[in-house]
Amino acid sequence: MQRNGVFARLTLVLVASTVLVACSSHKNAGTTANSTTSPKCGAGTGQKATGEPIKLGAIATKQPGTDFTDIPNMAKAFFDCVNDNGGINGRPIQYIIETEQTDPGQVASLAKKLVESDKVLGIVGNTSIIECAVNHSYYEQQGFYIIDSGIAPECYSTPNSAAVNMGPRYSVDGATQYLLRQGAKKLVLDQSNVPGTGYIEGGFLLIAKDAGIPTESLKDNVPIQDANSVALKLVQAAGKDGGVVLNFTPPEALKILQAAQQQGLQDRVKWACSTPCNTDFLSNALGPQWNGKLGVNAELNLTTATGPDSELYRAVQKRYARNIALGSFSQMGFVEASIAVKALMSVSGDFTVTSVNEAIRNIKDFKTDILCKPWYYGTASLHIPNNTDRTVVPQDGKMVEKEGCFAISDVDPAIAQVRTAESAG
Amino acid sequence: MPSWQDFQPFIVTGLALGGVYSLSGVGMVVLYRTTGVLNLAFGAVGAMGAFIAWSLINTLGWPAALAYLACVGFGAAISLLYGMLTGPSLAGRDPLVKAAATIGLALMLLGAMSWIWSDKARSMVLPTTNWQYSVGEVQINWTQIIALALGVFVTLATAAFLRRTGLGTAMRALANDREITAALGVPVRRVEATTWLVSGALAGGAGLLLSNLVGLDAATLTFLVISSLAAALIARLRSLVVTLLAGVVIGLVNAMATPIFSISSYRDMTPFVLAAVALLFLARHQQISFARRSR
Amino acid sequence: MRVTRPRIRVRHPATAVVLLLVVLLAMPQALSTYWIDVLTAVAIYSVVALGLGLLMGRVGLVSLGQIAVLALGAWVAARLDFATSIPFPLVLLIAGTITMVLGTLVGLPALRLSGLYLALITLMLAGAITVVLTTTNFPNGGPGFLGHTESSFGNPAVRRPGIAGSDAAYFRYTVIVAALMFTLVFWHVHSRPGRAWAAIRQSEPAALAAGVNITTYKLWAWALASFVTGVAGGLLAGSVGKLYTYQFPTRDSIILLAVVLMGGIYNLWGAVVAGALMKLLPALLDNWGLPPDLLIILFGAGVLQVLLTAPGGLAGQVPKDLARLGQRLATLSGRRAPEGEAP
Repeated sequence: MQRNGVFARLTLVLVASTVLVACSSHKNAGTTANSTTSPKCGAGTGQKATGEPIKLGAIATKQPGTDFTDIPNMAKAFFDCVNDNGGINGRPIQYIIETEQTDPGQVASLAKKLVESDKVLGIVGNTSIIECAVNHSYYEQQGFYIIDSGIAPECYSTPNSAAVNMGPRYSVDGATQYLLRQGAKKLVLDQSNVPGTGYIEGGFLLIAKDAGIPTESLKDNVPIQDANSVALKLVQAAGKDGGVVLNFTPPEALKILQAAQQQGLQDRVKWACSTPCNTDFLSNALGPQWNGKLGVNAELNLTTATGPDSELYRAVQKRYARNIALGSFSQMGFVEASIAVKALMSVSGDFTVTSVNEAIRNIKDFKTDILCKPWYYGTASLHIPNNTDRTVVPQDGKMVEKEGCFAISDVDPAIAQVRTAESAG
Repeated sequence: MPSWQDFQPFIVTGLALGGVYSLSGVGMVVLYRTTGVLNLAFGAVGAMGAFIAWSLINTLGWPAALAYLACVGFGAAISLLYGMLTGPSLAGRDPLVKAAATIGLALMLLGAMSWIWSDKARSMVLPTTNWQYSVGEVQINWTQIIALALGVFVTLATAAFLRRTGLGTAMRALANDREITAALGVPVRRVEATTWLVSGALAGGAGLLLSNLVGLDAATLTFLVISSLAAALIARLRSLVVTLLAGVVIGLVNAMATPIFSISSYRDMTPFVLAAVALLFLARHQQISFARRSR
Repeated sequence: MRVTRPRIRVRHPATAVVLLLVVLLAMPQALSTYWIDVLTAVAIYSVVALGLGLLMGRVGLVSLGQIAVLALGAWVAARLDFATSIPFPLVLLIAGTITMVLGTLVGLPALRLSGLYLALITLMLAGAITVVLTTTNFPNGGPGFLGHTESSFGNPAVRRPGIAGSDAAYFRYTVIVAALMFTLVFWHVHSRPGRAWAAIRQSEPAALAAGVNITTYKLWAWALASFVTGVAGGLLAGSVGKLYTYQFPTRDSIILLAVVLMGGIYNLWGAVVAGALMKLLPALLDNWGLPPDLLIILFGAGVLQVLLTAPGGLAGQVPKDLARLGQRLATLSGRRAPEGEAP
């Protein structure tokens, strides 16, 4: 028993000291008293909303290795701003964020929790590796139209999901198009060996074939333990004047790129990356040796862009979400929340699941300087409203624009389908 | 099939990877030989040390050298703490129980790391990584060489130390049977403490190197121990030299399978398959047992 | 493992039955779908914990690869389910049997090793299986032996048994199957295999001298553990309908070890506690807004606590603690003279 006590106390000391180290080395996360004027979101009345809350929900992946919570957390920041400015006709938005650890059972049950237990009226900001795949039928049954930041193929191929980003497949397409413009003579795609690789490589293969360029499509298990061999393999496969497209989460992409640099390979081929690489964090970690050498497909505008929405985004981050980094994740959360607010504002009459989701579905021509083209939902059987994007490159610790808005190639059949629907409707 | 020339650079990366596996493997076998504990938290201790060093450099602005010392110091301190707390209670127990207890430590550290340093793309580049030179087509950096060299050094130094010095003999006796060793008048607690301290320092140092060679990522570094374990198992947790060689071989096979695209996606199985095969082969006639007593 | 006589207390069989009835009948009415889904997972992982607890508590063998076995069982069940129209109970049975056969094949050479070696080799094999599964993926209605198609549109879900389509009904189904698995293990423990296992755990040489065929009985335990885990895999496949390698990380095998130790390996109830720790506690923490990382720290501390001080785990400790509490209260109220601590 004495041993028991000693052990318990020492555990406490250990934990306490670790926490102290952590706290002292973390930036101050709280919202401090600030001198900037509070941003005007939504109705912009400056009055706190006090009515009955309107409930919205979100599901995001959060586990060691993958953390998408920046997206719904930024959405919440925007909702907080809206609530401080009159809410939706005086009613505040209550946002329930659920995190999941890529367990399909858990993901399915969380959707049911949001819809049946928490009784949310709309679901905005979902960002999950498998959520669309697991839950899309359920949402279709329940009549929910989701605004999400999609990853799984079902986010782009089912009627009840519309994403503000374009997902791995089309982002890889964009990176591929960039490399073709750079004159790559052979293209190699490398992606993390997780379910869905067949879907992601589809567009890459079609576009390269259409341009008459030979390809090699590879996969690597994550977490990568031997980045040196991976980098070497890719460079060898691409050959002289070849190009390599990477589709990994930022930590894994960083391993490969750093290994390439440590072996002096960054100049041997042309490098490109899908959207996850678009963070200043990565640019910082890569260092000046990579300036201009990595073409990253950017689904959203630069965080430093001018324009009213970008400025509002930065203002909201500064006031309500200081501990969330500026980057494409938080931008997505911001845009999704803005769309949701516009939809809610357009609801006349009672706020019910039907009326809210009807309003979401009716969104069209949502203009924002964060996206290349206006965003829309609509009644089509699939939605890829963001199908135009930019290319950015790392430069001295930041990401800068290299190519302005360009259309994702309609050699990819779903894109062609979406373009047809756009020009018709 | 790729040409021999295409294979050559993978020999170099294979040796580098082998260095990674060897270093962790040797670290674990050293501790096992001296305390009877298979420390499955070896990777986690090193990882946490590396994260602390990263935070000290990037958030508190400490000079790098001091931060690296802090990392090694942390490894030593936490291993010492663990050893002192659990040593007496687990002394007579099966090696399996002692190893299972280190799993407890590993989980605590992993949870703490996930919580404190949430997942972001972090990197910590040791200055030795920027010192590079070319071997044929490939460039090696000094961090890789140090990793391999450290593995070799620890192997040779430990082998000599355990056999030649009084303290080394005391450690071996302690690992064999704590009670009898104590009865012989050996200052058991002090010997134990020294062992854990040194082993912990090694874990911290390995963590620094590995965070550079493999990536500063809590889960990767913690579970790297499973692949390194393969090298240790092939040596039946006894011979340091065999651990070193086994680690290098595993690294080589793993890397050389990379350019062969048809089997490339299975190459991560290398450590596991080699260890399982070696073990089962060695077990075919004997009853390999770790039980100190028949309990 | 520490030697004590197995404390299989079936003090109140009535309690078990009543509890089961409550769970089956009352819970689905009282709880929301979300919690029913969580409890379904608890039931499934209790069975997995049962297998590991059996190995550890009765025979003294440690397997660090039970989650890989679970994955195998799930794989087989899904493949059968998509390829044939065999009724679900039979799918479970076949999945369990195939898993049992595979487990036995592995056990034959592996069981010659003992203690630490066995645990580590199971870890190695589990690692190998995980890598293979990452490449072959899980069946999702596609063609060929692997049954996996890259196209991810309109893939069917693993079908549930006809009588248990809804979540609440499937929960009841799962609980009944789990109860059957527990009964199966209980019956083993209380008859000849159980006595042989106890003898082996006490002392292998003595058991050998007494004429117990050690290899056979070790294999039997191994096969039984594989069987129940395979069945659990089948239940898991039907539970969500879509299987991914994400559900079976190596980390979970380590966590399973932790929760089984914490739950208690000498008592079958310990497996239920383990399942709850693994699947219910994260949901509760999420409900209370606490980070899931805390749980991993807790499990680590729990492992240490159990191994250092309380080998019986929670299932062994809680009744003791309650008894001690009862004594203290009795002493305080003056009804009894203060006594020394009961063991």
